[in-house]
Amino acid sequence: MRAWEIFWAASLVIAGVSFAGITAVVAVRGLGDLREMFRHLRERRDAAE
Amino acid sequence: MGFTALDWAIVTVYLIASVAIGLAGKRYIGNLSHYLVAGRELGVYLGVATLAATEIGTITYMYNAELGYRYGFASFAAALISGLVMIFVGRTGFVIRPFREMQLMTVPEFFEKKYSLGLRLLTGMLVALGGILNMGVFLKIEGEFLAIVSGTPMKYLVLVMTVILLIEMLYTVLGGMVSVVITDFLQYVLLSVATILVSVAAVRAAGWGHIVHTVSTTMGLAGFSPLENAKFGWTFLIWQTLLWFSVHTCWQTTAMRMFSTRGPEVSKRVMTVTGFIFLGRGMLPMLWGIAALALYGTGAAHNGISAPVVGGHTLAPLDAMPAMLANILGPGIKGIVVAGMLAATMSVNSSYLLGWSSILSQDVILPLRRLVGREPLSSRRQILVNRLANLFVSMFLMFWGLYYTPPGAVYLYLNITATIFLAGAFVSVIGGLYWKRATTLGGYLAMMMGAAGAIVPYFFLHWNETQAGFGAFGLAALGLVFGSLAGRPAGAAVAAVEAR
Repeated sequence: MRAWEIFWAASLVIAGVSFAGITAVVAVRGLGDLREMFRHLRERRDAAE
Repeated sequence: MGFTALDWAIVTVYLIASVAIGLAGKRYIGNLSHYLVAGRELGVYLGVATLAATEIGTITYMYNAELGYRYGFASFAAALISGLVMIFVGRTGFVIRPFREMQLMTVPEFFEKKYSLGLRLLTGMLVALGGILNMGVFLKIEGEFLAIVSGTPMKYLVLVMTVILLIEMLYTVLGGMVSVVITDFLQYVLLSVATILVSVAAVRAAGWGHIVHTVSTTMGLAGFSPLENAKFGWTFLIWQTLLWFSVHTCWQTTAMRMFSTRGPEVSKRVMTVTGFIFLGRGMLPMLWGIAALALYGTGAAHNGISAPVVGGHTLAPLDAMPAMLANILGPGIKGIVVAGMLAATMSVNSSYLLGWSSILSQDVILPLRRLVGREPLSSRRQILVNRLANLFVSMFLMFWGLYYTPPGAVYLYLNITATIFLAGAFVSVIGGLYWKRATTLGGYLAMMMGAAGAIVPYFFLHWNETQAGFGAFGLAALGLVFGSLAGRPAGAAVAAVEAR
């Protein structure tokens, strides 16, 4: 039982740290992606009109 | 403790901002591809945000917390499988790479390319049935969560559900995938902050040592080892592995994100990174459920699980986690957490509304028109059909959500309704992509036997979810192999479609 406890505790730490770390990176760099998506969609819409 | 004025202010500001941002997406909709797959313009980070936001909702927190409450740390196995399978799919490009290269908009579209128009129609109907039934329980459970945490009386549950649905519908119907992606980004950031806040608060309130002690004294080894837990075991683990492979490759809302990226390599990276988020998506709310057990699991045992007792009231295990949050979160923090959960709710529901309505319009209504010899619709008309399908799905969800309560753990109900179409779809997709002998007859048999294998044992024979789910995948595989060896090659069917 002790081995399972250590295994799940370690998995939980990895999961929590990954979750927080990825959130921070995505929050910052996702904005750039969003701006680029708008630019491309606007260009395509204007070209179609 | 109920909501304070500060909490209500935080939630109101979030709702107004979310709707305004969502409505802004409408101006970018030029054609059907913009509406359904955001013009295939998603980069890696935006892709991760929208995929994670789509698959993390209040419903996800509720069913995972319930699983943690009922089965302790052993439930972590389901989260571990979901994350590891996703990382594997992302690293290898298994299914998602060829799908993205084919420029699909929906999963059933593949069935026409590989097999036949008729099989696309059948798959579309089964996908819509399973998907809508699956989503049918979301609203009520989400409404319960929000009502309990905010201290809103349960008599307003229907009102809470209706308001949530109307707001989601408003921007999804008008702005399609572009609106969904924009709001997903905001919602992902907010829901992640809420997830981290709640995780810290739950461990602080219950104490790690107390959490572990409670599981070991109430469940013993079964609370830690999925192999020793009567609800799980090897059959469950194999079914979960198959199910998560099929979810990450063939689940319409996930697949739509893969179809919406700038290319196959972006899809692979999005899937890999989101795999790590999926570990936390499962384990963190399961931990909240275990913390709720440690704090409130003092009631009479039912099926070996102590009922939660909060403020003298005995609750269902599903409601233990929100009741805990209502008690341990302070003013302001509670507002942020509820806004985060609302964000999670709206991101999931809007994506699912778009996903299932796109199946109804693209894979049921439009193929039916072609079968009866009607002219193809213009892109503008197809968007209109999508919007009408969206309205229909929303109305159905309201009524189904109000009148149906799933028996047993919600996680397992969601798994089995998904299996209705995923078993056959996954097996047929694997056959279609990686086995030259796969035929249209094999595809038909896989879809029908997979669906029957989930529906009949679960809804009519009342087998447990694991037996029904495991059996459905087995039957689907048998159907594909038997039908393919007996029928003519799929190439002939494809040639017939192309000739038409």
